[in-house]
Amino acid sequence: MPPKGKAATKPKATETPATTTSNPTTTNTTSQTASQPSEPTTVLERSQQRYEKTRPFEAARQQKGLSKLPKEDQKGWICDQLLHLTNRLPAASRSSLLGPKASKEIWWTVNGTNSIVRGLKHKPKPHTTWGTDRNGHDVGSYTIERFDERFRKRIALTALQVSSRVFRENVEREKRGFVDARSGREIIVTEREIDEEKVRRSKMAALKKDLYGAITGKLAESVEWEDVVPIPHEEPEGALAAIIYPAEYAEAMSYLRAVMTTKEYSPRCLRLTEHIIAMNPAHYTVWLYRAANIFALGISIPDEIEWLNEVALANLKNYQIWHHRHLLVEHYYPTISSDPDALAQFAKQERGFLIAILSEDTKNYHVWSYRSWLVGKLGMWEDEEELKSIEKMIDEDVRNNSAWSHRFVLVFSNPKYATPGKAATEKDEKVPQELVEREVKYAQNKVYLAPQNQSPWNYMRGVLVKGGQPLASVQEFVEEFVNKLGEGEEEEEVKSTHALDLLAEIYAEKKENEKADLCLRRLAEKWDKIRGGYWEWRRKCLTQSETEKAPGEQVEKAEEGIAAA
Amino acid sequence: MENDNKAQVEEPEQEWPYLDVLRHLRYWKMCIRAPLPHVYLSNESNRLALAYFIVNSVTLLTPPPSERTPQTPEPLISREDKRAMRKWVLHHQHPTGGFCGTSSLVFPLHSYDTYNSNTKTSDEPDHAGLANITSTLFALQLLALLADEEDEAAGENVFEGVDRVGTLRFLKSLQREDGSFGEALSDLPGHGRFIAGGYDMRYCYIATAIRWILRGDVEEGSPGWVEDFDTEALARYILNSQTYDRGFAGNSQDEAHAGYAYCAIAALTLLDRPLTSTSSSSSSSVPHKSPLLHSSIRDLPGLIHWLASRPFVYLEPPPPSADQDPDTYIYQEDDLDDPNFLLPPTPADLLCLLSQTAEKKGHDKIHVAFNGRTNKVADTCYFWWVGGALANLGRLDSLVDREAARRFLLEKMQHRIGGFGKSPGSPPDLYHSFFGLAILGLMGDEREGGKVRGFDAGLAVPRETVGVIERARRKLIDSEKGGKGVVDGGKELDTVEMGLELRSGGERPKWLGACGY
Repeated sequence: MPPKGKAATKPKATETPATTTSNPTTTNTTSQTASQPSEPTTVLERSQQRYEKTRPFEAARQQKGLSKLPKEDQKGWICDQLLHLTNRLPAASRSSLLGPKASKEIWWTVNGTNSIVRGLKHKPKPHTTWGTDRNGHDVGSYTIERFDERFRKRIALTALQVSSRVFRENVEREKRGFVDARSGREIIVTEREIDEEKVRRSKMAALKKDLYGAITGKLAESVEWEDVVPIPHEEPEGALAAIIYPAEYAEAMSYLRAVMTTKEYSPRCLRLTEHIIAMNPAHYTVWLYRAANIFALGISIPDEIEWLNEVALANLKNYQIWHHRHLLVEHYYPTISSDPDALAQFAKQERGFLIAILSEDTKNYHVWSYRSWLVGKLGMWEDEEELKSIEKMIDEDVRNNSAWSHRFVLVFSNPKYATPGKAATEKDEKVPQELVEREVKYAQNKVYLAPQNQSPWNYMRGVLVKGGQPLASVQEFVEEFVNKLGEGEEEEEVKSTHALDLLAEIYAEKKENEKADLCLRRLAEKWDKIRGGYWEWRRKCLTQSETEKAPGEQVEKAEEGIAAA
Repeated sequence: MENDNKAQVEEPEQEWPYLDVLRHLRYWKMCIRAPLPHVYLSNESNRLALAYFIVNSVTLLTPPPSERTPQTPEPLISREDKRAMRKWVLHHQHPTGGFCGTSSLVFPLHSYDTYNSNTKTSDEPDHAGLANITSTLFALQLLALLADEEDEAAGENVFEGVDRVGTLRFLKSLQREDGSFGEALSDLPGHGRFIAGGYDMRYCYIATAIRWILRGDVEEGSPGWVEDFDTEALARYILNSQTYDRGFAGNSQDEAHAGYAYCAIAALTLLDRPLTSTSSSSSSSVPHKSPLLHSSIRDLPGLIHWLASRPFVYLEPPPPSADQDPDTYIYQEDDLDDPNFLLPPTPADLLCLLSQTAEKKGHDKIHVAFNGRTNKVADTCYFWWVGGALANLGRLDSLVDREAARRFLLEKMQHRIGGFGKSPGSPPDLYHSFFGLAILGLMGDEREGGKVRGFDAGLAVPRETVGVIERARRKLIDSEKGGKGVVDGGKELDTVEMGLELRSGGERPKWLGACGY
């Protein structure tokens, strides 16, 4: 029994709404839901319908099993199978599979069932047949219009790619000085051709992105990067701390890898580093590579510094920028070191910028660190402006410890009098006493402004040690901040815990241990309780320095005592 | 929020703030499972650092197999994950030693042009600048942290595949003439091969840690011996970086900084740390009291003073209406720009303020925060840097008000979604979330019931991991020379003499006695 009805449909009419098979059930869901032949809405449906049309008995067989089908249907199915099988073979070997008689019978049967002979070889499946698009969607789920659109785009892309390849070959020929065989002239790539190629590439990029979501950033499109094959990085399994970053960054890094491999130093590499730095200014390798390019190409250092200023202001907390600047200055210095005017001019410029950036971020560690280095490098010790600018910063914020710290270096590391190699905490006999007095006075004036501000206290103490003066030389000043110590809760007045701390040291220095102990005890008990453990330790140290001669066991015990406390 | 309720039910009347382990684990789980947000791009060149924060934190929060109970959640990182992650870490190894910080700096092998694939060696380190000192330490720590704890034998092999000799040579090549270390090598046209990186105490610390992890006790002439870097020059560089106010900086011309103080102290400690821990020392955060550290620092009491000055009483910023109520809040005007460091003008003002707050709240529990420099703001990581520095000096327990500091960390810095922020109210990040746990592990707290593993103040990994490193080093060296090494003997007094010489002050300082030498 041949498949019923519908047999009138012309075998080739696969594009038209298929009237499909009349088998009561099929595995195809679309024909199951609608007894009417349904209009395919997606590419997958269309293909599935085509597939089924060429295999009219397949659905029934799958459901019931071959043996349960009527005899005619069985024969129809077998013939279909054989037909599809032989269709896959090369024409020559077909005859060896089936004899003329068998072939004839098959064709007779197929003719009778109206099977469509040129069917799809494989059953279309979602995802595998057409693949997925850049969003992970099955292309098979596209509507027919959309699918056609995609098809047209792919053709357009291929056409562009062919033209682009021609262009690239011409560029290569031009480079090697090829002569065109027909015209006898050297091949020259014209400006117009380059412009056309640029347009072509942007079109290609747009199409690629549209079709495949391929990352084709600025560089892949650019004619300038023509000859570079980017090296994208691959990551094995088990990767930790992957970071979400823009495709542009990934692209730029793959080009960086390529040029670093060949150790290329060129203007385009310089631009590449700028491009990456704009996205990630904290990549130390990129900065080092930039420096290498600057030096190799002999780029003007002041120009680079000017560019760097902008980057620094936009990235206040960046560390690499300052290392780069450091390298630039190291490189630049020998060219101006013999010219005092140029040196002074450069120092002035640098200070101008440092003042500007420190006004944005007054305690920026990297900036201050660079500044103290610069003072030594350019010999800015005697530069009055440097000290003035620091004083201005301290006037603006008396608690800016970075500024205090810079001041100490500026005053006490001046090679004019400072002994080379003296540690910061060491006494230096060469430091002029009037300087020590001036600095002590300076710190004291600032203490009055905010007695609980530790910076000037630390500074004053540091100056005294450096100048080799006893701490007791400031005893009167310190005592101004402490009144009636130990004379009762109400009477006692401490305007600064740092004064009490220093006073304890002064008394200890003068071997007035009881007084020292009182200061420390009051700090622990009342004025600075959060450091109670520390003040207690200092009290223990007082008694230990007396028993210093026999450190052994007693010390151990004291240590244990502290640990227990 | 369901967790909130659960926690309250479990510990209804706790008087102390507690660490919400589950919540922290949830935060770290997120960091493992999903890629990190774009803000981390600035760390792209050093992803191993981020990986170290993640794996170290997870390890801190995961009880060792022997302490697991049926209630213990499944480890966040499975044994299979660990294997894959170890491979990933090893993939960063540079063909001539050292590790690169990110896979975007790992090149296909054929592009290392001096690399000989037959001998698997390279005559001359090429692609200078790709391997990095920081990444090298993080890689080694990660390999040890990723040891399969359920398989002792596997633990010994965690350094399998590490180019020990190459890495130690790479390390030596990063030392500058003045004894300090840079971070990477770089070829600069006109300057030749040059040691890049700032004058940064971090690299000095890292150098000592890599040396301790890999160098071992191989004798000169034996296979696997590599010339040591100049430890004395390094120690001298470090010691010269003490500043006028007695803290430590990247060098003596810079401002004292707690991070650098930690690095300086921990580096000196690691220089004479015994290669293996004794059974008693391995249960302590400070497994070794460093004779070198105690004898060489020019002004040790001064350093302790500077470190002890880092904690401060954290005051809540006043509500916006406070300016109408000048009696209640006594702040300096500028302070309000920087509400994380409010400093009343006099000590009496502070006491007055505290007693008022205590009255309002009905208790006088204060919060103690840490800053990294004089007059700077509170920051989670400085609790670790200062705490770690003091721990290496053996003084964490006696000098810090642990109760108030913990309270600050857990009440002000712990975030609702888990992890710790940089400052009160700020969202968590990997760096601060890790250091928050690190300091808790360092301080230990029996009331927490071992929620956080004990932490090593010198090597910045859990104590069990130090054991892994010791065994793995032994194994790696044995596999190189096929023999057994000699156990190093303690030469404390020699070290003290060396330290005193480094101080370049002839006389024996008073505190040395106080330190037990």
